[in-house]
Amino acid sequence: MLFETILLTLRVAVVATLLNLPLALGLGWLVVKKRVRGAFALDVLASLPLAVPPVVVGYALLLLLGRRGPLGSLVERYLGLEIAFTWVAAVLAAAIVSFPLVARAVMTAMEEVDERLERSARILGAGTVRVALTITLPLAYRGILAGVLLGFIRALSEFGATIIVAGNIPGQTQTVPLAIYDSIQLGRGEETRALVLVALALALATLAVHNWLLRRSRERSA
Amino acid sequence: MPEMKETQPAAFLKFSAQKSYEGFTLDCSGEFERGITAVFGPSGSGKTTLLDCVSGMLSPDEGEIEVDGAVVFSSSAGINAPSEKRRFGYVFQHGALFPHMSVRQNVEYGYKLIPRSERQFEPDYLADLLAINYLMDRGVMNLSGGERQRVALARALASSPRLLLLDEPLASLDAAHRASILTHLKSVSERLGVPMVFVSHSLSEALALAPKMYALDGGKRVAYGDTLEVMAHPVVARVADYGTLENILSARVLEPDREDGAPRLAVGDAVLVGPPTESGPGESVSISIRSGDIILSLGVPPLTSARNAVPAVVREVRETEGRALVYLDMGETIVAEVTLGSARQLDLKRGRDVHLVIKTNSILTFSMDRG
Repeated sequence: MLFETILLTLRVAVVATLLNLPLALGLGWLVVKKRVRGAFALDVLASLPLAVPPVVVGYALLLLLGRRGPLGSLVERYLGLEIAFTWVAAVLAAAIVSFPLVARAVMTAMEEVDERLERSARILGAGTVRVALTITLPLAYRGILAGVLLGFIRALSEFGATIIVAGNIPGQTQTVPLAIYDSIQLGRGEETRALVLVALALALATLAVHNWLLRRSRERSA
Repeated sequence: MPEMKETQPAAFLKFSAQKSYEGFTLDCSGEFERGITAVFGPSGSGKTTLLDCVSGMLSPDEGEIEVDGAVVFSSSAGINAPSEKRRFGYVFQHGALFPHMSVRQNVEYGYKLIPRSERQFEPDYLADLLAINYLMDRGVMNLSGGERQRVALARALASSPRLLLLDEPLASLDAAHRASILTHLKSVSERLGVPMVFVSHSLSEALALAPKMYALDGGKRVAYGDTLEVMAHPVVARVADYGTLENILSARVLEPDREDGAPRLAVGDAVLVGPPTESGPGESVSISIRSGDIILSLGVPPLTSARNAVPAVVREVRETEGRALVYLDMGETIVAEVTLGSARQLDLKRGRDVHLVIKTNSILTFSMDRG
């Protein structure tokens, strides 16, 4: 059971992070490099989930994905599937709550790439995609990876939004934080301690890699 | 200000550009010939904005830019070629080398992006020309300022540019590296024939490098013409400090003086006694002499403590803001700066024979490519 819970938690966090990465890269490109009209609003909007209580995010998702919600009803009618209270809902909750961390890190990493390098590459004959692939991404990747890991940690520990929109169903939507909550509620001290140790180990390992990456990227740009 | 209207060679770069950008308005036009043109102006005069419009990094609100007969921008015809299609070279003040690539990868970046048949200069040839062969397989992080700019120049040239744009490429260099890059730029222009637009706020650099000068102030064209003419323009005089104006010249080291072993330098038709130098006989060096450090004498001066008294002919005298710039010919053009009073007292005018009295210590020598 413990093993299954850990696996589910990892799966939810990995999928949420994989969803977030391309979105954050696209947003970063629009806001930092293209400086599109409305970049400021986009930036604020992207950070919003960081500012509101996760429970509110969960509630909004429930309204959207619930059987009577605009998205939930469509998916049910055409695909015959339910999203709310499935692991997919847990993924969406984790993705939205962790997105600001990924997006902000990606934007910072992109900002730190000296614009003159990208300009030089363009004048030397490289188009937008080539500049992104040969200059921006190679120089920003450590910062981007650090952001991805930060988002991953946040997704691992997501609780408030998940419990609202995905529920707390063992084996289906019960991730490590939800299992800890349950075990505390039920007074299973031994189980709680085991789960807390798992959560700590996951967090420490990810944070260590994250900090190491950030330090390497600072050394490089110094 | 004469604008070179008679028998003007075909313009290579023609532009008219209006651009309002971050509270500043650029509104200027010009026609540059092949060769090197200096764009001079105080900081905030719009030099870089103009360069950005030409390179395609900024789009003028209105205007037209034509290079070698090809329109790269035209607001009326709706043409705006992207930077990567313009085939220009660009050198930034700090080089802007790609930090995650070796020197060779930097130099080959643009080279590899153009069709084989259109490649004009091989990276190895450029490495020879700019004396960076010994750096090719190194990273770019620990290069000296001079090395960085030589690599940046090689990288730009390897992309076979139709036009080379240089934005203050010497501003962050010390005097020795600056003299060395100036020499390299000159030889690149002579040997490869790539036209250059050289943006600078230094009259000394413009004087050393560019026969033509375009002066900008407040986003507007002030003057365009021969550098020696434009240099004395009243608006230029207002922002220029002629006292610090330097003559940066090429010289060859001769056998040292037999009596006291002092190094002797051949400059134009003159032989100067200079300060001690690391360079041996036969080697080329750059020398720098401040215009304000040159004393003019009618006839051979009596014995003074200055070691040099070389004959020269006055080519032109420009009076400006209480000072006089005296252009002299000693096989090379050299500019002396004196007060208006002196200029009148000596009755300096075209064709007058004078002697330039220069102290040994007023001559700085720079060996080539040391570091």
